Amino acid sequence: MSETVRVSVNGEPHEIEVRKEESAVEVLRDRLGLTGTKLVCGEGVCGACTVLLDGVPVTSCLLPATALEGRALTTVEGLGPDLHPVQRAFIAHDALQCGYCTPGFLVEAVAFHDRWRRQHGTDEPTREDVAQALAGHLCRCGAYVGILAAVRDACAGRFDSGDSSGPRLEAREKVTGEAVYAADVRHEGQLEGVILRSPHPHARVIFVDLEPARALAGIGAAIELLGKERVVRYVGQEVAAVAATDRHTAERALALVKVRYEPLPASIGAGAAQREGAAAVYSGFRRRPPSSGEGPPAPARWHGNVRGPVGAFSHRARRARRLVAEARERGDPLLVEGTWRTAAQVHTAFEPHACTARWDGERLHVHGSTQAVGRVAKQIAEHFEMEDELVHLVAEHVGGGFGAKQNLSPETVAAIELARAARAPVRVALDRGEEISLAGYRPSAEIELALLASHSDGLRALQVRAYGDAGVSVGSSIAALCRMVYPAPAKDLQDFDIVNHMPPGLPFRGPNAPLACWALEQAVDEAAHRLGEDPIALRRRWDPLPQRQRLYAWVQSHPLWHDRPRSGSQQGRFRRGVGVAAANWLYLYQLGCEVEVGVEHGRLFVATGVQDIGTGIRSVLASTAADVFDLEPAAVEVRIGDSRLVSGPASGGSMATATLVPITLAAATEVRRRLVAHMAEAKASDNVDWAELIASAPDLTARADRPDDDAAPGVGRPLAGTGLAGRLTERMVRRRSKVGIGHGYTGAVHVSEVEVDTLLGRIRVLRAAAGIGAGRVAAPELARSQAYGGVIQGVGYALYEQRQDDSRRGIVLSAGLEDYRIPGIGDTPEIEVHFDEEGFEHVPGRGVGLGEISTMAVAASIGNAVHNATGWRPYELPIRPDRLLEGIRA
Amino acid sequence: MTPAPSTIEEARQASGEYRAGGTDFQQRLRSGVSSGPPIDLGRLPDLDRVEWNERGAARIGAMVPIATLASDTRLATAYPGLAQAAGALATPQIRAAGTLGGNLLQRNRCWYYRHPALSCLKKGGEDCPARSGNHLLGVCFDLGPCVAPHPSTLGMALLAYGAEVGVAAGADLPVAGLYGDGTDGRHDHQLGEHEILTAVQMPPALEHERAAYSRATSRALAEWPLVEAVVRLIMSGETIEFAAVAVGGVAPVPLRLEQVEQALTGRPASGEVLARAASLSTSGASSLPMTRYKLELLSGTLCETLERALRWRGAGRDSR
Repeated sequence: MSETVRVSVNGEPHEIEVRKEESAVEVLRDRLGLTGTKLVCGEGVCGACTVLLDGVPVTSCLLPATALEGRALTTVEGLGPDLHPVQRAFIAHDALQCGYCTPGFLVEAVAFHDRWRRQHGTDEPTREDVAQALAGHLCRCGAYVGILAAVRDACAGRFDSGDSSGPRLEAREKVTGEAVYAADVRHEGQLEGVILRSPHPHARVIFVDLEPARALAGIGAAIELLGKERVVRYVGQEVAAVAATDRHTAERALALVKVRYEPLPASIGAGAAQREGAAAVYSGFRRRPPSSGEGPPAPARWHGNVRGPVGAFSHRARRARRLVAEARERGDPLLVEGTWRTAAQVHTAFEPHACTARWDGERLHVHGSTQAVGRVAKQIAEHFEMEDELVHLVAEHVGGGFGAKQNLSPETVAAIELARAARAPVRVALDRGEEISLAGYRPSAEIELALLASHSDGLRALQVRAYGDAGVSVGSSIAALCRMVYPAPAKDLQDFDIVNHMPPGLPFRGPNAPLACWALEQAVDEAAHRLGEDPIALRRRWDPLPQRQRLYAWVQSHPLWHDRPRSGSQQGRFRRGVGVAAANWLYLYQLGCEVEVGVEHGRLFVATGVQDIGTGIRSVLASTAADVFDLEPAAVEVRIGDSRLVSGPASGGSMATATLVPITLAAATEVRRRLVAHMAEAKASDNVDWAELIASAPDLTARADRPDDDAAPGVGRPLAGTGLAGRLTERMVRRRSKVGIGHGYTGAVHVSEVEVDTLLGRIRVLRAAAGIGAGRVAAPELARSQAYGGVIQGVGYALYEQRQDDSRRGIVLSAGLEDYRIPGIGDTPEIEVHFDEEGFEHVPGRGVGLGEISTMAVAASIGNAVHNATGWRPYELPIRPDRLLEGIRA
Repeated sequence: MTPAPSTIEEARQASGEYRAGGTDFQQRLRSGVSSGPPIDLGRLPDLDRVEWNERGAARIGAMVPIATLASDTRLATAYPGLAQAAGALATPQIRAAGTLGGNLLQRNRCWYYRHPALSCLKKGGEDCPARSGNHLLGVCFDLGPCVAPHPSTLGMALLAYGAEVGVAAGADLPVAGLYGDGTDGRHDHQLGEHEILTAVQMPPALEHERAAYSRATSRALAEWPLVEAVVRLIMSGETIEFAAVAVGGVAPVPLRLEQVEQALTGRPASGEVLARAASLSTSGASSLPMTRYKLELLSGTLCETLERALRWRGAGRDSR
């Protein structure tokens, strides 16, 4: 059933035939090509699709297309042609990262600004005013700090005039809605693909009949997506896919596919998987579970569904066990023991996993939403048995990844396969339910930790048993990470994976580390509490890393720390507390990468096959090259996000900056040398005007691969002292993941101030201070944005984020952004970020990556702050109202 | 092509599911949980009006946007509890697009109900899967077979006002009657398939009413309440002369707490009286294994709402 609506869109009249079921966002994106309006949650929660309906912001995903009749719509594209003051403020304040939520925020913020100015002139609105007005928007990167500042400044008239410059190279494209993401690509004759998924947590697929689907009008192709084994191991696993002229037709066709399953017994959740007689997820000798870590999982034995222990990073394990047992025996108060639990945290990047595939004869062109164009292009070639050169993968802009988009994933396989079968371009984009249920999460774990403290020396013994639950995936290394921070004469560290019939966990921003911090950093805090010692003083006593020693000193002189209350000293309804926690991470870089720097048509360019997922690598590359020539970053053209460029790193493992800055410096220095030589031929001059020289230079390029780091006397090799296990790990990571482990650790110290409402069970993080030591910061404004986001994601991890499941059916219940709750703008603390820029002088460029280190210890610092406020220690994440109320009453 | 109905009669003849602002309908449509083609009510005449009678009572059309209930000065002055509830629910965009009638008749938020692959009582199934499954957000007044709390914040506020709803071709119905007593696990409201809610009839405004709305959530803004409450008071000096209290998020229907009202009426607004009244809010409650925490949140939310109502100084002025 359809009807015609007459609607004005950005001032242009349209007459559009719409179906009654359609939403305005579908009409805008798919019919009118206005892809600045993004579809994210589809339930009016995130605001990414916000448009103005007769001047009033509404979410176009919930706006029936029929309601457009006689109305005027304004989308982000209609805010122009000149930039609105709010758009300029967003650029200047770097109020965006991946850019996917940005158009929605802007449309609302512009409406708020214009209304505010009519009513209040240039009075500055409060943070609360802005938060209330933008409460219907979410940002997964956590750009709220910049957004609040930008909107307040714009309302105060500070951006009424002026230029539109800012630290992020591609900001203009993102604030105007021009930036193109994978799901925005639309080829002539493009079909829409959808995936048929298993309703069973464990089943053998007996047969799949696609013919009834193929018979439906408008169907381009129907394919199977099963592996050779034809067994599904979790609800939602891919079984088949259909491509049709539009999503609704494809969904109707899916319903016609006949699948016969032989349901098998299932083990849902780690508890069920360990019971006597539990159904085995894998059997036989050739178990190949997916990995939830960033590298290949260490070898280990299986006992039923339990994989492990992996204890290679232990050190005098038996002695540690004995020390702990003896301390327990004598009731030693310096033995801190507990079981800490964490929840599955979903990545839910705002751009869903999406892929648009087009075949051109033998050649394949793919637009993907990926954190690794180079790697995924190779994986595509391998999967489809093609020559590498025939695969062309583009990811110009990527709407967030956080670790879940590092490899070839099912939507890409489906789109390519469907496009081949249909002989037409095909797009497959996951909806939010699929994204949250299936497309990646940080595994949960149960962590038993015992720590033996001392009155005056270092840590005496540490015992950790960590049981990771990543569904069908393995790769837990929580206990292993506890090796690296505080030295002790004896450590017994054992990791286990409990596989079960739930979707696979994936690496998520500092895999395993926030879990390790949640347990270890609270145990250290508890030790300080029992010793009656300042938690920072204790860490200064135990922690040898120079960067963190400096960061501890910074925190100790910070008023936030100074003014913290005495633990458990408060009685009223609202109790304030301050907590600290430390984090530690490796300096990793990708091997085999290159950068090309050159001059083309009188303009400097940098090119490499990296991608910008919101981290700001474009700006890092531009400013690194620009510095070599004393130019502004804007003078450099950056070419990334294309598998045809020279091989670049994945945007993961905090590796992109650490890999590319040294190479870019080397290549740019070579270009400079050649330009000087060229100048010397042309004319001699002492004062080089690089801009002029480049403008008049002939085309030239220089390529470099990664130079070795300098010798680093005094900087530790991370796995030194871990013996054979360390050397094997290093070699395996090098060979299998093509990742080098550099010298030195990065470190962070996080401080959080909370207000605990003991009546309504709510915890608010009021202020946060993040001290981050990752060497020289390549692009400070963007690094700061990333660190703000790390803190905000940590707030979510601590307080709100938890995937909710049905433990009988293996179904994810919180399959939308309404039920899976990420932090909103109103939950944003005042955040201060401090960089310690020393410690990586041995790396060309003197700095490494900081995306992961900025989030790891945040939740633990909040846990410690809650303890400081209430005297009650939270062991389980997230610290929900029900848990808090129960805890403080006990 | 079937145009949207332009009279109530046409709308009553059409088959499908009524759609007002669409904010609930479109989401259920997307997740495969709507019962039929939409019948748009946007072209029905006169449903977006507010009319006042000579007794100072408003009749609010069902298609009046939620945002209007909060921003219309006359409404906010006459019915401050309704206005505060309307201004605090959902998000600004939803309040702009959603309507009064749509809010009252929206379907519940239970994740089992909203999941396309699951069956439940409200989808014609045999039992409530949340009862034996994950009901963390469920009721703590277990009044019927379904354990999902009623989602309508405005329904709760209107209950505190003793409002009535107008139904096309029928007599006005008390809000309590619109929802029933919670024993019917199959419906979120008691209207039949072809019945259309056309308006809400408010009582005459009371002079010197002070009111407050508050909700318990984990995040600061824009979250479905774990527990919510509306309190209306009229003071005579230090004595509470009149009290109306309704709560939501705790039962299959919005609840009016008469015991709490009685414990307040005629007594001084002292800390003890408020605390005792708030503690009575859980009498008759029967929590589920995962919802015990809601009992404490309920009395806590009532304390908070009572205190805010006492501090309240009039529409447009901050009560915090």
